[in-house]
Amino acid sequence: MGMKVLTDSAETVWKSLNGLLCVYKPADVSCNNVCKTIAYKITSELNHMNCRQPIDYVSIEGDPSKHLTVIRRPNLADHPLVVGERYHPDDVRCTWSSFLGFNTSGVLLLGLQNGTKTAFYIRMSKLMRAYRIKGKLGRATDNFYKDGKVVEKTTYKFIKRHHLDGLLASMQSAHQKKMFELCGVELQSQTAYDLAIQGPIRPADSKIPVIYGIKCVHFDSPDFIIEVHCINEYETYLKTLIHEIGIKLRSTANCTGIQCIRHSYFDLDKALLRKHWTLQSIVTNLEQCSNVINEHQNLIRQDSVTLQ
Amino acid sequence: MMADDLDELMVLVKICVKECMMYCSEWLVASGEWMTNNPSAVVSRWRAQLQVQCPRTDLMTYLSRNKLFSFIRRLSTVQNELTRETLQRSTQLTTNRLEDVGLSKDERKSVLEDCTEDISHVATYLKPTFNFAAYVNKSETLQQLVMLNVNLSLLEKNKEAVPYVLGLNFEKDVKNHVVWLSELGIDNIGWFLTKNPFIFRESLENLLVRINYMKSKNFSDSMITAIISRNPTWLMFSTQQIDERLGFFQIEFCLTGRQVRALAVQQPKLITYSKHRVKINIFAFKEEMGLNSDEVKSVLLKKPNLFMKNQIGLLKTFEYVHKDMGIPIERIVDMPEVLFCRLFRLKQRHLFLKSLGRAMYDAKKPNYVSLRTLVSGSDVNFCDNVAKSSIQTFNAFLKTL
Repeated sequence: MGMKVLTDSAETVWKSLNGLLCVYKPADVSCNNVCKTIAYKITSELNHMNCRQPIDYVSIEGDPSKHLTVIRRPNLADHPLVVGERYHPDDVRCTWSSFLGFNTSGVLLLGLQNGTKTAFYIRMSKLMRAYRIKGKLGRATDNFYKDGKVVEKTTYKFIKRHHLDGLLASMQSAHQKKMFELCGVELQSQTAYDLAIQGPIRPADSKIPVIYGIKCVHFDSPDFIIEVHCINEYETYLKTLIHEIGIKLRSTANCTGIQCIRHSYFDLDKALLRKHWTLQSIVTNLEQCSNVINEHQNLIRQDSVTLQ
Repeated sequence: MMADDLDELMVLVKICVKECMMYCSEWLVASGEWMTNNPSAVVSRWRAQLQVQCPRTDLMTYLSRNKLFSFIRRLSTVQNELTRETLQRSTQLTTNRLEDVGLSKDERKSVLEDCTEDISHVATYLKPTFNFAAYVNKSETLQQLVMLNVNLSLLEKNKEAVPYVLGLNFEKDVKNHVVWLSELGIDNIGWFLTKNPFIFRESLENLLVRINYMKSKNFSDSMITAIISRNPTWLMFSTQQIDERLGFFQIEFCLTGRQVRALAVQQPKLITYSKHRVKINIFAFKEEMGLNSDEVKSVLLKKPNLFMKNQIGLLKTFEYVHKDMGIPIERIVDMPEVLFCRLFRLKQRHLFLKSLGRAMYDAKKPNYVSLRTLVSGSDVNFCDNVAKSSIQTFNAFLKTL
């Protein structure tokens, strides 16, 4: 299936660790923490492989007026016990292409070593992400999440599935209208029409969240799950979305979980679980991700406003 | 008197370095100069630097008025010999005096004459450095420590340890201790010294007294070896301190002498662990979790490491096990290892069992899952033996959390 690490030399593996990595970020762990863990895992495994031997220490000894001898002996200053292990977690460059909040779990794209550039291009090309957001009716909390302080309790038995579906459909259409407004064109113009026939378009601004699709995938009162396709979103925005839905349904709701299920072409199948963050799986995953990027060059270079 | 002056000056330098971290490197360079040249000139230069650069004006005035003036006067009496000796001790380098090289002050030659003497070993002192690597090829002590498998790269993270280790002399300070420790039966001397390089501060007589104390408390030889090799800092504590710690555990948990000894062998680090942290965890067990004294005692004897865990993490795990999984306190006391399990792992396994309808922790009902098997073993073993499912199903489930 993927590439298998056949070599025993740490240096070869280290040089091949470039590219994009797709991991499954657990909830209640920060992105920074994920990067650190992966850097630690990589370096600790590399240090157990065949690393570089200490270089020789060359010294010229003897009386300079008579005879000098050149002596080579092992250089203790290059010994792993003195300068530390060969690979250090700080040596690994690792960063995310799109930030996921502390409470969010799911697909997270990380750039490793030279792949940090790829991660940056992916961030700049504003790709669509899909989220599955869990909500619970009946309670409002101060931070819109389940761990916040409850500020309001309401009844929710009267809310049926079709109420939620109707509301979500109207939200989706409102966002689609906003999408054209953000392009800066007059709605009743030929330019707007030309844009509209191309299909959904991506916003120029990277700050304003835009929702392309929102639907309910599970309703079991008081719990419900909605699936959102969006761009430029952030964690608090998704939490407030649930809060707003609660209010619009004449009740209250809080968010109980956010999961990113897709980031453009990277879905849950490609994501590495926390227990699989090992050197072998990382190398395999890097290769899979580079295949995806080779197939879809528009991931890193966008030349059209339309959403792909 | 002279030695006192030097010590006091070093303290002063330390204060300066601490207060003016920005100028740290300059101070260090200056200290190198001070050793070689005229001390009073360097000190007055420091004062000038202080006045120009020191952001803390109150410190500056304090130093200049109270300390530095008197120091300049007193330092002029300090002999150069003494300063050179101190430097030799601190950098472990062989410095050459004029006499050793074969030159005396009287027979100084003209610089125009050809130089026939060997002066290749006259070198400057090593400059300030960030790690041991700069010194290791020249220092006998460091080389011996590396051969003993001491991890110097870990040692240098402790700021206090670096100057201390550099000042050691292998033959005088280190050798006897290493021989003594290996005679005691400690195999991993390298690891021991990495954890506790300050063992050389204690004299062998003191260490022997501490071992004899343990023997007097009926610790057998094998027990003593086990304790010392697993807790390198144990020997740093005086007999009074160790006695007080052992007494604390005996009184707090109503232990018998045999139980105290078993506890010390099972987890020697707990005895010398921060008493404050242990007390906080006792509070967590008794008041926050609601265990009674006997239960706390049985937890201590089964899993003493729990008393060294972070209280907040411990409480979170306990709450999940007790409230969400619905396991009564008596069962948790029976199997306290469940509190060691990382919370996310416990959650994953419990939720998976729940989704399969197998989350049954009551021993009297069918499909019972023991807490011990729940938290132990790899995921593959867990899926095969406990969940009776496949690892693929489990992995797919994990991607829904």
